[in-house]
Amino acid sequence: MSGKTVIEKILSDHSGEDARAGDRVWADLDLAVVRDFGGPNVVLEYEKQLADKPVWDPQKIAMTFDYQAPAKVVQVANNQRICREFAAKHGIPHVFDVNAGIGQHVLLEHGMVLPGSVIIGTDSHMNLLGAVGSFSTGMGTTDVAAGWATGRLWFRVPETIKITFQGEYGYPASAKDLALFLLSQIDTSKTIYKAMEFYGQPIQALTLAGRLTLDSMVTEMEGKIGFIVPDEQILGWIGERAGKPVEAVVSDADASYWEEWEFNIDGLEPLIACPDRPDNVRPVGEVAGTPVDEVFIGSCTNGRLEDLQVAADVLERMGGKVAPHVRLIVTPATTEVAMEAVEAGLYETFIKAGAMVTNQGCSLCTIGHHGVLAEGDILVSTGNRNFRGKLGKGSLAYLTGPAVAAATAVKGEISLPE
Amino acid sequence: MGQTFAEKILAQKAGLKQVEPGQIVTVQPDKLLTHDNTAAIAKIFHEIGVKRVARPEISVIVLDHVVPAATEAHAKNHQQIRRFVAEQGIDSFYDVGEGICHQVLPEKGHALPGYLIVGSDSHTPTHGAFGAFSAGIGRTEAAAVMATGEIWLMVPNSFRIVVKGRMPMGVYAKDLILHIIGDLGADGADYRSVEFAGPVIERMSVASRMVLCNMVAEMGAKAGSVEPDEKTLAWLSGRAKASFSPVSADPDAAYERILEYDVGDLSPQVARPHTVDNVVPVEGVAGTRIDQAFIGTCTNGRLQDFREAARILRGRKVAPNTRLLILPASREVLLAAVAEGLVTDLVSAGALVLNTGCGPCLGAHEGVMAPGEVTISTANRNFKGRMGCKDAEIYLASPATVAASALTGEITDPRQFL
Amino acid sequence: MSEEFVFRGRAWVVGDDIDTDMIYHGSYLPLTDPQEMAKHALEYVPGMEDFTDKVQPGDILVTGKNFGCGSSREHAVITLQYNDVSAVVAESFSRIFYRNAVNLGFPILEVPGIARQVETGDELEVDANAGSVHNLTKGVELQGTPLSGLEKEIMTAGGLFGYLKKELQAEE
Repeated sequence: MSGKTVIEKILSDHSGEDARAGDRVWADLDLAVVRDFGGPNVVLEYEKQLADKPVWDPQKIAMTFDYQAPAKVVQVANNQRICREFAAKHGIPHVFDVNAGIGQHVLLEHGMVLPGSVIIGTDSHMNLLGAVGSFSTGMGTTDVAAGWATGRLWFRVPETIKITFQGEYGYPASAKDLALFLLSQIDTSKTIYKAMEFYGQPIQALTLAGRLTLDSMVTEMEGKIGFIVPDEQILGWIGERAGKPVEAVVSDADASYWEEWEFNIDGLEPLIACPDRPDNVRPVGEVAGTPVDEVFIGSCTNGRLEDLQVAADVLERMGGKVAPHVRLIVTPATTEVAMEAVEAGLYETFIKAGAMVTNQGCSLCTIGHHGVLAEGDILVSTGNRNFRGKLGKGSLAYLTGPAVAAATAVKGEISLPE
Repeated sequence: MGQTFAEKILAQKAGLKQVEPGQIVTVQPDKLLTHDNTAAIAKIFHEIGVKRVARPEISVIVLDHVVPAATEAHAKNHQQIRRFVAEQGIDSFYDVGEGICHQVLPEKGHALPGYLIVGSDSHTPTHGAFGAFSAGIGRTEAAAVMATGEIWLMVPNSFRIVVKGRMPMGVYAKDLILHIIGDLGADGADYRSVEFAGPVIERMSVASRMVLCNMVAEMGAKAGSVEPDEKTLAWLSGRAKASFSPVSADPDAAYERILEYDVGDLSPQVARPHTVDNVVPVEGVAGTRIDQAFIGTCTNGRLQDFREAARILRGRKVAPNTRLLILPASREVLLAAVAEGLVTDLVSAGALVLNTGCGPCLGAHEGVMAPGEVTISTANRNFKGRMGCKDAEIYLASPATVAASALTGEITDPRQFL
Repeated sequence: MSEEFVFRGRAWVVGDDIDTDMIYHGSYLPLTDPQEMAKHALEYVPGMEDFTDKVQPGDILVTGKNFGCGSSREHAVITLQYNDVSAVVAESFSRIFYRNAVNLGFPILEVPGIARQVETGDELEVDANAGSVHNLTKGVELQGTPLSGLEKEIMTAGGLFGYLKKELQAEE
């Protein structure tokens, strides 16, 4: 029998079986997370099915309120309260309330995401944590409620596609463009439900923020999870926060892949996903000049300090002012990022430029919160989804990296940074 | 016979030598302030049948109530306002993110001594702090002002409130005005012009005077004012967009009532649910559990307020299960707060710093409560359902009291921390 | 599976890549009552704005590829279930939707080419057990991939909790 892929190793390890692609296994969970979206549904379902039965392990459950932070409607305020009460009742200590930020990023910063772990959550972008080698996946209410009860869930072991990049690129192209490029090249009927492992010099060169960006769009590729083997620096960062040294899970040299793909990204240029799909990718130049009404810089894809720094730099280089008719909304991913951004003088740059800096969280992306668009409005966002009407009926959304987003905010039309 | 402040300004604007309370005068306001309700006003304006705004130069429009747009309806509303502004050639338009209208108006030099200001918002009296006669009017009246450039006003009776003594430590302008409102009742100054005078007032900063004038609406007053002095002029230096002539009440003016207060024994005050005049000293409600604390609004969202809050919160942590929301009243305030390190202090303490705007004050978004929850807030209204949930409770207090309460999770006398 | 998994009903056809925000828009996420959720099914799918007014119990939803892509929200399944849609037949399902449907015991079937062989209003007979779809109106039969293995067991048990309860009872 051949060696194992990363996902096969992780699921074997967590199920006690020899897990291979195509198998169904029951795997132990390291962490079961809910947000204020999905969370109340899980609580209600759990109580409906199991009444007062204690959860399997309160230490392995977390709640992260990021969908509407703080609540916009009474219903969500009540939902958040339902979650808090459940946590108190069951002795669940890890409640990251409305002041914490985007769930996956918060958990990562708190050392709760380890390479090789199995984490589930009520968020389809849980899988961005594959960037540190964790098998993290988004799930619905029933799965998570069952997980809270038993500490394990059924998984179909995905096949893995090995993807290797070659070539070099430089600013203004970024990890976001790598993700958009990949989206434009793949056939989602092939990537659906697959695990991916990313290799190659361009991947090695990515910082943690860049890896999170790339992996956050695996969902849009219909993939289950995307793994990037964490390097020494990232392992050290995680270890510090976890309070213990951690190791990466590496696939065996003779692992069996469903397919192996190679991409050359020499000279990668800034890209943009046009309405209404994340894979409707074009070079920015092709749509430059399209007037915009609103620009959003943030999200689980591009909300880290590095992303805000790039945006602030572009704003300053291009005159430091947002175009008069454009609303620029900037949202740091977490409290930690917000504080770093304040210290680095980025808040000053954004506010002076005329941007609105909102509190950490999912912000615009989860529509419910704020920044909703009117019919006919055009948005350029550093988020990961732009399906029709997502952010307001009759509105259009483009997806791109922070540099292009910032340049666009200055010019009032889709633009490349100067 | 001498004239009160209101009589003097209204006489001047009406081109008369003298006016009497009860007299109707027709005047041309120097400024007309409207906000997110401009679209509704524009609709009435169009229904009147007039095509062009009579005096676009007096119109000041600030989008602040639900910013950035929280729903498609709000987004559409904003869109309509932008179109109206462009169509009518209104220059003084401040889009989402600039701040709350009552902070932006004076910051941009539109609130000047001797001015007559009308606004389609009940807290328009705020600008009396700059020695203007500033009053709230209804939407239909605002539409009429847009159509004709003038308005009829009934000359109000005047109260003079003289405040003496020394403000004790931990007691602020908000406590003074709450005390006065508690004393006079919610309709105690119905349709009156309230003039604040005396050594305590003279020693107050402009920001504190804004607190007093802002809250006169809660005792039914039409306008509130403080005589302009060097502090006023210093504040306005560099901002005034036009020349101005300060107006002062005559020393021999006749007032309907002259009230005197001595603040020597004043303690921090709290307005209990569900009316603003339901005021008690903080000792009367200390220990009441709170879920949420809110520092911001046109009443107390200024740099001075955040300094007071930060003084108490610095180096400490907000109580578990208590949410502290901070909303700066304007971009300018936010920038200053960032520069002074206050944002870092507040975020470190666990507060959420939200974007500039009215936020949760009126229950549209960003901090709505769940049934059964309690908020202590620096806002100006606490009637049932004000913050969006009919089964929640709101207490009103000063920034210091709110900050102290956030630390303990229950209503707390701020003097403990000073 | 038994005759429970044979359905006959009128078809509604939608296209490719119907994202969860189109099936159940993000602004309704605060809702937790399934009857309320049902009011917003397919609201953001162009042409389907009056779906909830016109849908009849037993209707069958037919879709193109990648149905249910996007968010992990189970609301997308519940909203269809509570409109008494008896099954969804898709060219392909996005994985989280697929999983949610299985866990909720909501019948689904993947049939390549289905969306081009059915029009809204056609009468269909779907056998989720055998994996076949008979378009009675057009006289066309298609074969898809029925659920098997663990997914089939979970679906047959009425969903994940039904399955787990049987397991938990067996352990006791």
